Amino acid sequence: MRGQGVSHLSRLELQILGDNTKMGWGLLAPIRSQTVSRSLLYNRRLPHSSFTPYFFQHFQPPSGLTLPSETMAKDMTLLWGSGSPPCWRVMIALEEKNLKGYNHKLLSFDKKEHKSEEVMKMNPRGQLPAFKHGDKVLNESYAACLYLENQFKSQGNKLIPDCPAELAMMYQRMLEGLTLHQKMIDDITYNWKVPEGEKHDSAVKRIRESLTAEIKLWEGYLQKTSGGFLAGKTFSLADVCVYPTIFTIFRFRLCEERYPKLAAYYNRLKDRPSIKASWPPTWLENPRGEDIMKDI
Amino acid sequence: PCWRVMIALEEKNLKGYNQRLLAFEKMEHKSEEVMKMNPRGQLPAFKHGDKVLNESYAACLYLENQFKSQGNKLIPDCPAELAMMYQRMFEGLTLQQKMADVIYYNWKVPEGERHDSAVKRNRESLTAEIKMWEGYLQKTSGGFLAGKTFSLADVCVYPGICYVFHFGLCEERYPKLAAYYNRLKDRPSIKASGPPTWLENPQGQDMLKDI
Repeated sequence: MRGQGVSHLSRLELQILGDNTKMGWGLLAPIRSQTVSRSLLYNRRLPHSSFTPYFFQHFQPPSGLTLPSETMAKDMTLLWGSGSPPCWRVMIALEEKNLKGYNHKLLSFDKKEHKSEEVMKMNPRGQLPAFKHGDKVLNESYAACLYLENQFKSQGNKLIPDCPAELAMMYQRMLEGLTLHQKMIDDITYNWKVPEGEKHDSAVKRIRESLTAEIKLWEGYLQKTSGGFLAGKTFSLADVCVYPTIFTIFRFRLCEERYPKLAAYYNRLKDRPSIKASWPPTWLENPRGEDIMKDI
Repeated sequence: PCWRVMIALEEKNLKGYNQRLLAFEKMEHKSEEVMKMNPRGQLPAFKHGDKVLNESYAACLYLENQFKSQGNKLIPDCPAELAMMYQRMFEGLTLQQKMADVIYYNWKVPEGERHDSAVKRNRESLTAEIKMWEGYLQKTSGGFLAGKTFSLADVCVYPGICYVFHFGLCEERYPKLAAYYNRLKDRPSIKASGPPTWLENPQGQDMLKDI
């Protein structure tokens, strides 16, 4: 299935194939071709661990041509985990800014790899994402996104609107997105995080009510916004930062009929190239998650 | 959060804005006036024309973006300082959360759900967080969170650091944090906007003295 065709080749073998043969596509045609959305010429740095096909776009550019964004991206490293909204935010931002060919490594939360020495070295908090550009460390996903837009303003898509009203709305929704994310996390992780002796049905109920109220608030926001994006008429950092959380809520089977505006937003952005290209690989195998949120 | 916005307004030389001081103890943050501007019933509630920015970080980022050329520059040009600024700014939210978990435990958690084990865990988490920030200030050479200049990181995080000392954090145990706290106390924007209720009672409770 996914990834099987290429993951057995070592990094060195793949690099040799690319450097020496000057083949166009090489042997690495993606298995899920519908996720390949661009045909830019660039040379990908290969990841350390086995990875999913849509990152294996192995083009050989004409000799001597190196795109500036590729040079920048070579100094970038991202340690990430599949299905983590904060990681996804950074990956969407990198795609939107055309920063391709960055070094990245997919780690497993289940195997506690986020507490490994490699991660702790880059992020003493033992959390993902861990992101670095040169010697600049940006382990907070919002920090990384704001930094990338600030530093790469003139390439890729503009993620901060010029219009003051949209700008204000963007910042406001971006930061409110942290509240939505926290309430979602409180609900999903209650059973793992709270020690047995401290659990209370009253707390579970209160957390669920809080999340429900929050989701209703966002449904209201999308009813009021006329442009189709969180800040208004254009895709912005607000969407970069909040979409992954909204996607996760629907993955846990939030009822689309009950929240039509949120569902429309979720479905409409699913196919945006940057979002499609960075979709959590473990969710591709298993698109329907547990139905934790179906009764909200 | 309110203090952050006020510091930012001072730094950008935005004076004469309409403002109203409300009392949390009298539940005025849930009054109709506030709910109209902020349906979440939280403060700060901030508005510029018809642009509503109730999230303090959103207001601060907006003000620096829109008033870049007046007052003090709050976002550094140097990419390394810029990255550090954003990173510390957002880590500041973690510090705030852990602080709130300790200080507001009894207000937020209903009596039947409180546990000593949770209180202990929250305190340990806050202690580790404060030690982390002491470490950050040991490593930073410029005297400010992002490096050599006062930035949005200081605007957003200083109020929280001030808060932990107000609640009795031991200055001898955290000398770098204490130095930062004392050094910025007299910065004009901070002095001008300091919480009025704290001026009357500079040493608040001592909930954090053993941290």
